[in-house]
Amino acid sequence: MGPVHLFELVSQRNEWLSVRQSVTAGNIANANTPGFKSKDVIPFEAVLNRAHLEQAMTQRGHLRAGMSGVVDTSAKAADGLVHHSGNSVSLEKEMLKLGEASRDHRLATSVLKSFHRMLLSTTRG
Amino acid sequence: MDALAATLKIASSGLNAQSSRLRVVSQNLANTQSTGTTAGAEPYTRKLINFKSFLDRSVGVDVVKVDKVTRDDAPFRLVHEPGHPAADVDGYVKYPNVNVLVEMADMREANRTYEANLQVMKQANSMIATTLDLLRNT
Repeated sequence: MGPVHLFELVSQRNEWLSVRQSVTAGNIANANTPGFKSKDVIPFEAVLNRAHLEQAMTQRGHLRAGMSGVVDTSAKAADGLVHHSGNSVSLEKEMLKLGEASRDHRLATSVLKSFHRMLLSTTRG
Repeated sequence: MDALAATLKIASSGLNAQSSRLRVVSQNLANTQSTGTTAGAEPYTRKLINFKSFLDRSVGVDVVKVDKVTRDDAPFRLVHEPGHPAADVDGYVKYPNVNVLVEMADMREANRTYEANLQVMKQANSMIATTLDLLRNT
């Protein structure tokens, strides 16, 4: 049996979910801002598969590294309604994403927890 | 900044913006009958609130903030009331350009968006709580 990089995978997944949550929060906060285009993040598979160089953060004011470049800013007007003010946020869709991210986060954390318990029971004997 | 902490900050900016909006709505509603006091004087003008998406560099995501509160340029309502102190030579009084129904709809929308932002905060809090739960001895 090969090594299972479960802890790393779960923490990466949770980081991605947190970024997704904050992007969704940005969309909801800007639900009434004229001209605001709704944003999303790239799928988790794509995050896992990409090889990229990360920018160092040497000062407090620098933009966040880590999950940088995950935010997908391409406007998706095709599947959503664009208001007269140029705003393309659909509050229902954002709430759906919010619940989904929260649920997935709970699942990943539970998996991690049970794996941790298994590991502990092996070491305790 | 951690993404979940950023989420809380964004949601609080949304709450802030929507409560400012509600303040402007209540100001408009309270002044629906506020006319001038001298002959031909201008009454209260309806206020409009504008939101702006703003990149908070410490968070790295778009928060929302109130851009400015502007005046509505719509014409005033003219009512024939010759005895009123604000009546002009023809006996017409200018009443504010506030439409109560529009204000009500605006209030409802502010309420809904406020609830949505509150929900974001709840979800982010529960995610933080489940992560912290990992530390609990099982």
